[in-house]
Amino acid sequence: MEQVLATTLRAAAPLVYAALAGVFAFRAGIFHLGLEGLMITGAFIAVAAGQAAGSALVGLLAAAAVCMVLSVLFWWVIGPLRADAIIAGLGLTSIGLGGTAYALTAIFDTRGTIFTEVVLPRPVRGVTEGWGVVVSESSILVWLMPVFVLASWVVLRRSRFGLRLAAVGEYPFAARSAGVDPSRMRLWALLIAGALCALAGAELSVGALRNFTENMTNGRGFIAFVAVIFGAWHPIGAAAAALFFGLADAVGTQSQINITEAVPREFVLMIPYVLTIAAVWLGGLWRRRSLEASAGYAELRAPDD
Amino acid sequence: MIERLARILSTVVWVVVAFAVTASILWVSGYSVTEVFSGAVQGAVTAVGAFVSTIRWTIPLFLIALGVTIGFRAGFFNIGGQGQFYVGACAALVVSLGWRAGPAWLVISAGMAAAVAAGAAWSLIPGYLRVRFGTDEVLTTLMMSFIGALVLQYLTAGPMRNPQGTGQTAASERIPDAFRLTGSSGVSAAVLAAAAVAAAAVWLLLERTRFGLSMDLAGRNPTMARWQGINIQKVGLVSFGLAGALAGFAGAVELFGPAARLITGFSPTVGFNAVVVALVGMLSVPGVALSALFFGGLQSAILFLPIVTDVPPPALTLLHGMVALLVTVRLRARRRRASGGPEPVET
Repeated sequence: MEQVLATTLRAAAPLVYAALAGVFAFRAGIFHLGLEGLMITGAFIAVAAGQAAGSALVGLLAAAAVCMVLSVLFWWVIGPLRADAIIAGLGLTSIGLGGTAYALTAIFDTRGTIFTEVVLPRPVRGVTEGWGVVVSESSILVWLMPVFVLASWVVLRRSRFGLRLAAVGEYPFAARSAGVDPSRMRLWALLIAGALCALAGAELSVGALRNFTENMTNGRGFIAFVAVIFGAWHPIGAAAAALFFGLADAVGTQSQINITEAVPREFVLMIPYVLTIAAVWLGGLWRRRSLEASAGYAELRAPDD
Repeated sequence: MIERLARILSTVVWVVVAFAVTASILWVSGYSVTEVFSGAVQGAVTAVGAFVSTIRWTIPLFLIALGVTIGFRAGFFNIGGQGQFYVGACAALVVSLGWRAGPAWLVISAGMAAAVAAGAAWSLIPGYLRVRFGTDEVLTTLMMSFIGALVLQYLTAGPMRNPQGTGQTAASERIPDAFRLTGSSGVSAAVLAAAAVAAAAVWLLLERTRFGLSMDLAGRNPTMARWQGINIQKVGLVSFGLAGALAGFAGAVELFGPAARLITGFSPTVGFNAVVVALVGMLSVPGVALSALFFGGLQSAILFLPIVTDVPPPALTLLHGMVALLVTVRLRARRRRASGGPEPVET
């Protein structure tokens, strides 16, 4: 039991940070499919810069900086240049995956994996019995998860910035009428998302492990995006969904050992995706019904919608 | 006409920009750009067997991109080509391993039919949800892709696993040689003819039939299309079905052609690359053919490059990403979102 919880937390931590990133972008009206690319970039920079500077924290900051630069590029392409956000986001993911694998060879002259001695602080270590196992060896980023989730909630739901962001996402035209610049708000949202993705990546490479491996994010950016939708683009909902997917991952890992005969691991791993299709479907139904019930809605929408 | 030329020009310009950025990354990291360039030309065209290899990589890209084109033309962002490709290949594998003793022509036809049906079904699930309930198809097709990849992983690691396999990655057993349509080069008259027939059929459908026109209209302006009496639901279902069928067919061609067995996670980005191919080809069949040939050449080149220079192969993924990032720039997206997601970026 403790072991499952520990595995869940470890698997969920990167998902939670990336999901928060996705929530910020989603609130601003952007389907951010570049989360995966930003995560892998964060993971790589955290190792490369951390190793060079001899400190994982420096690596973390460098990762955040690089991911924010990439986010500005993404914003520039989908905002002022009016590219399609879905395709550009997938492009950003390819750039991240390809770029880090390329840099691995170009800079470190290796394929596959680089190891590092630097690692993020781990407040509790060496506990092998009882409930302490759950948090033992967890990096500082695992401990800080609740802080980030609550802070995101406060910023998005209880601050002027968050309300403006929501206005931009839901109805940019009205936001502009109220004197809010949608483009600038989207830039802020994407910058925050970039920094959070860097944390997610760093947790993978210098938090839970001490290495960077090609494609080590392994689709986690997309799972995080799924968590955003599944959690109804609410920071706490998305974090809860990320924890649940972490649990599914942990159970999948366990079932590989214990009950392979009964349920193949692949089917357990499908759960998040199947649930998401169901959630998007049912969520859409529910939303439509509640919107139809509320008067005045039709005036806000294009006639065909 | 002017508008069309402007679109072609803008696409070409942004593809060139993407190449320039990638080339400068190569240059900054100390590789000789001219060496890479001449190596790429050799690997795609001039070296022995290079052009055949280009065609081998073009065929799956082209078939899947044709499907993407149909979806996008009708206004549906069906980006699940990867999963449809995988389940198509899996269906063909199940048929050909399950019926080893069967006559080759019958097994191949049955395998192809199963692949087409599986791909279409994989695409119709999100398609039905989209046209019936307005469920956002970007999310659902993406999810179906991940599920498709897990189906492949399950088959190759479980029921269809080659028991003699020693490699770390799970692979299925090989299909009997009698079922192969090509040698390991992946190109033969049969495969080329199949691709040509598919291309001609899609071109006729899109450019020469009432139904193709109603797809275009639905993609451009669904409200107007509905007012003109076009059945948008039918258009949607057919476009999803055909897109999946083409991707599934590509999976079968891959199995009966160059692959002969399936490996977990093979060609992991072909579905996404096909979206890039379709967009660079500006959603027209001849354009998609050219752009598929081009990106197929790049794939072939990057596999050849290690022979002449030491540029890391992931440079190709990087390049694809750059092209995807930039290719839709200024191309006003013809897309409205279903209820269930935010509006597209509007500035």
